[in-house]
Amino acid sequence: MWGIIEQVLLYIGIILIFVGALCDLIGALGLLRFPNFFVRLHAATVGIIGGAAYPLFGLTLMTFACDFLGYWRWLLASGSFITALIIIITAPAGSHALARGAYRSGLPVEPKVCDFLEEDKGRGD
Amino acid sequence: MPVEELVKAVIITTMPIFAVAIALYTIRIIKGPTVPDMALAVDCLSYDVCFFMALLAIYFEAPFLIVCAICLALWTYIFSVYIAKYLERKELGE
Repeated sequence: MWGIIEQVLLYIGIILIFVGALCDLIGALGLLRFPNFFVRLHAATVGIIGGAAYPLFGLTLMTFACDFLGYWRWLLASGSFITALIIIITAPAGSHALARGAYRSGLPVEPKVCDFLEEDKGRGD
Repeated sequence: MPVEELVKAVIITTMPIFAVAIALYTIRIIKGPTVPDMALAVDCLSYDVCFFMALLAIYFEAPFLIVCAICLALWTYIFSVYIAKYLERKELGE
């Protein structure tokens, strides 16, 4: 016998996990198909935040209802929550540093629409 | 349906989708034209392996696997920042 709150948490967690799987598939397809590094960065962020952080929050909610794990489910829930927090904090910082390093190392932007930073550097601002 | 069967069915349904995504990231790592592309794909793959490890921890009922996931997430951030530093200054360390 288990309560209504655990049931609600279980179903919310399952929905979050499925949404995360969908986001991850879309991010992987975008990373494979987009033409250039700075566009691929967008798809990669969809794949990281939507594909790893959201499902970890869903896993946190889902493990609250996993009675078959016994006492250890609290370790699983707190570990998943901390991992999701670490991903949410560090993944944008890492992607930003990578984009800055790639631009300053002179990576060619192949199908270029507009590049305001290059124009500003050319004007000497 | 009991909780254990439902949770394990969800995990078994979700795992092939993540396996397909990991295969696509691996293709991008192998054929990526420049170094930042490869580093970005390794980032995505590592964070996905984090979540995969958490799923395996529930499926095999071995909760200590989650400790490895935390360490992997931190390592991935350090890897990304290190690659960025190398790209910008062409040197490592300090």
